Amino acid sequence: MREAIVGKLVGNSVKRTEDPRLLTGTGRFVDDVTVPNMAHAAFLRSPMPHAEITRIDTTAAKRSPGVIAIFTGAEIAEFTNPFVGLMPLPGMYDPTFYSLATDRVRHVGDPVALVIAESRRAAEDGAELVEVNYRELEPISTIGQALDSTRAPIWPKAKSNVMVSMNQPSGPAVGPIFADADRTFTQRFVQHRQSNQPMETRGIVVEIRSEGPAIVHAATQSSHALKWALAMMSGRLTVPGSIKEMFKHRDRPKLFVNGAKSLMAAKPEMKGAGKPMMPTMMKQMASDPKRALDLQRSMVALLAKGQDSRPEVVAQDIGGAFGAKGTVGREDVAVYAAAVHLQRSIKWIEDRNENLMVGGHARDENVELSMACDHDGTIRGMHVRLDMNIGAYPAFPFGGGMFSQIIRVMMPGPYRLPALQFDTRIVASNKGTYVAYRGPWAVETWVRERMLDIMARNLGISRADIRRRNMITAAELPTKMITGPALDVRMSAAVTFEKAMEVAEFDLWAARQAEARTNGKIVGMGFATFIEAAPGPPGFFDQVMPGAGSMAASEPAHVVLESDGTVSVYIQQMPHGQSHETTFAQVAADELGVPMEQIRVRYGDTRVTPFSLFGTGGSRAGAMTGGVVTFGSRELRGRILDIAADLLEASRDDLVVTNGNVHVAGTPARSVDFAAVAAQAKRSPQPAGAVAPKTSEAIRIQSEYDGGEGGWAQSTHVCWVEIDLETGVVKITRYVVAEDCGELINPAVVEGQVRGGVAQGIGAVLYEKITYNESGQFQTGTFMDYLIPTTMEIPEIEIHHIETPSTIEANYRGVGEGGMIAAPAALTNAIEDALAHLGVIITEQHLPPSRILELAGVITP
Amino acid sequence: MTAQMLSLSLTVNGLEHVLNVESRRTLAEVLREDLQLTGTHLGCEHGVCGACTVIIDGAAARSCLVLGAQCDGSHVETVESLAADGELHPIQRAMIDHHGFQCAFCSPGFLMSIKALADDDPDMSKEQIREELSGNLCRCTGYASILAGAEAAFDVISKRNKLNSIEETKNA
Repeated sequence: MREAIVGKLVGNSVKRTEDPRLLTGTGRFVDDVTVPNMAHAAFLRSPMPHAEITRIDTTAAKRSPGVIAIFTGAEIAEFTNPFVGLMPLPGMYDPTFYSLATDRVRHVGDPVALVIAESRRAAEDGAELVEVNYRELEPISTIGQALDSTRAPIWPKAKSNVMVSMNQPSGPAVGPIFADADRTFTQRFVQHRQSNQPMETRGIVVEIRSEGPAIVHAATQSSHALKWALAMMSGRLTVPGSIKEMFKHRDRPKLFVNGAKSLMAAKPEMKGAGKPMMPTMMKQMASDPKRALDLQRSMVALLAKGQDSRPEVVAQDIGGAFGAKGTVGREDVAVYAAAVHLQRSIKWIEDRNENLMVGGHARDENVELSMACDHDGTIRGMHVRLDMNIGAYPAFPFGGGMFSQIIRVMMPGPYRLPALQFDTRIVASNKGTYVAYRGPWAVETWVRERMLDIMARNLGISRADIRRRNMITAAELPTKMITGPALDVRMSAAVTFEKAMEVAEFDLWAARQAEARTNGKIVGMGFATFIEAAPGPPGFFDQVMPGAGSMAASEPAHVVLESDGTVSVYIQQMPHGQSHETTFAQVAADELGVPMEQIRVRYGDTRVTPFSLFGTGGSRAGAMTGGVVTFGSRELRGRILDIAADLLEASRDDLVVTNGNVHVAGTPARSVDFAAVAAQAKRSPQPAGAVAPKTSEAIRIQSEYDGGEGGWAQSTHVCWVEIDLETGVVKITRYVVAEDCGELINPAVVEGQVRGGVAQGIGAVLYEKITYNESGQFQTGTFMDYLIPTTMEIPEIEIHHIETPSTIEANYRGVGEGGMIAAPAALTNAIEDALAHLGVIITEQHLPPSRILELAGVITP
Repeated sequence: MTAQMLSLSLTVNGLEHVLNVESRRTLAEVLREDLQLTGTHLGCEHGVCGACTVIIDGAAARSCLVLGAQCDGSHVETVESLAADGELHPIQRAMIDHHGFQCAFCSPGFLMSIKALADDDPDMSKEQIREELSGNLCRCTGYASILAGAEAAFDVISKRNKLNSIEETKNA
């Protein structure tokens, strides 16, 4: 642990650079953007879960006052390309679909028509006049219905509603292990459908300019991914296959090649992604020739158009996302394509009802977990059967398919697991799209930590001991998980566990609980331990899905000394609450020896930020961007010292930088500041191999960071509850988190991330549920149905930081998602502990008061 | 159906405005679209999240549920008024000092709710502050940092009021 040196910024809760603008109402969120001559958009959405569109008539709607244009699915399909999944899971059926429904609607809220008008109200008035006739089809709502082969598939070409079925072993076969195990346990767990629900819904402003590319103002987690996706899916170009085509568009093949070269130059390892995925993509094309044509058209649209035809994406302030704004929305494509088609700027802001319906759902998973163990609880083998309901339209560019593989790889958690059989079924249904939501693989921790409690109770051993018996300790490190990823010496899950047990005084709990019960109080205590790949060991993503690694292989950043002596740091991250403008200014300022005010962190604008399709997600920023800003700033510091050495006629090794002034150590009087160095740099020739700075810049460093040794974030959560069996209300009386995420850049920011995650975990268990009835009708249309926890529902959360000492530089690890990964497990473990004397076993994650009373036998279901 | 227009005169952050608005236009839309005061945010437009909270004639209100037409002759205060003279309001200073917010999309509603509460009773207990602010939703922070900032703000305002009252009695 680097001791806090006076004047050192990293490690201190520095005040936020973002706050002066955000707290004075002068921030710039996407709905705050207005551009000249801006039209507005509204979508007509399907009231039906599953139906064919037999007739659609927009004549009356087009006459509605203020309406400029209306597009149906068939019309928009003429000038856009469909969504074609680029990150296919081997063997998984991946449908192609347009931004609006063309042949049939596949969930309530499926967009059927896009109305462009002079105001949002005029667009909504117009949408109400669009006449649509539907022929209802049999809905698929539950996983059970999706598995029922007598029900017609919602994607006919898939021949079933099971999109993929996979059986993946790790280590020896589990069959014999279960056969001769002392004990085996099996439980079916149900994790209900939830939703991110950031306070800011989705939105986009497409600014069409007289010349140059369109500017897309967006609230997105990856501006480059949105840019290239919009380019790919807008502008349906004929494929230059035929001879006539070749002559008519002679320039196109050349543009195609240049476009491909510029994409590969921006991201060399993109070539790496192609190879492993090629067989899967070939098989998909063979099974659906139209897909090959669509993919080729998308590539032609992406690469064979001039630079100006691709949009530039600009994002500034974003009102939270938790994963939901990492996907490219069908509405983004529809509104962008309409704006380009009409050559008119358009703004679309999603309302809350739409965000609840189609803004992104998550977690809809059933897991049957079987464990084989010795009498003393030592785990011998695990058999997991995961059923995941990803709704009708797969998320783009990645969604349920990839997350199911992260669940598999993370199943062992921090425990020794000799053998794993992981069976996956991903089903389609007439529900909203499954998107990433804060630790989208979290079900691995919930079911594993739930099962350990159930096993302990049955084996008559303590819930702490069964974890101690199986948890990997420091003595065994480094080692590897049975599913492949390496566990380095900093993997300190066991240390966080012992710290939590000590703080929680677990050994005294049984007596305390007994005493409380004699006073008629129903109390419980639960705990859970997990590890998170934030960013994970080198090669982690390739173990999840071959080829996916290239997307996440390295983190770029540009560190620039401007002519005026200030420093700009361009990152590929898209902060939406993570305080990156503050934390990475701290890192850069410490490396460069300047005050924070001299650093400006810039993000979100594809014209200036380094290229990366990943964006913000997976709790990677702390480690990956922390690293690239550290080493990029260090490289800039070297260049600055070289120039200062000339100016001061001193040896570079004697120079130090304090408060932005470069001077010989010990004689601060004779110094030069960064502005002087900048002026000198602009007068001097560029060193060999240096990146040429732009005119307004003095020195430009463009660096990449591969994450170095990467590593794990880990923590143990402990939760105490008191349950009122009159009302069924669960009151959380205490909550403790012991976590190790390496060195803290800004403790207040870290604690904010932990508390925010725990709050969403508590919300998921006690209050939040996205509900569809048996026939697929959506029933969670307002915040009166989907209950977001308030100040009254979230307890004080005690946080204990642990940092495993290490000499590794930039020893930061991510902490954004851990809160939500562990909280549902710790809370449901506490609830079962409180009701265990009534024989209650908790196998579902949604536990509102009525369900608590049913489980406790107070009321009958 | 041509929109029915109404003449509306209201004072916002001390400035008098006379506008011609559609009858169905909410106060939030008047502030954000007609007056370009985009500090007030819309999170749900059905009166639950509180991000649109402003102060109308001294009382906190959800501007997404109030029609512009209802505010004829009213005085409206929005988040842009808090640091109007370039000086951060004690509530804004306290929130910065306590790392109150993360994405801060909900902050305008919290800041105006806290201002209305502190103007009314700056000596409120911690528990009461927590309950009064349960009408404002935040999805990022888990509320602890916001409540810490609010309590610090109440403290500063309460002490300032006591000082002012001592001044007044001295000058009286």
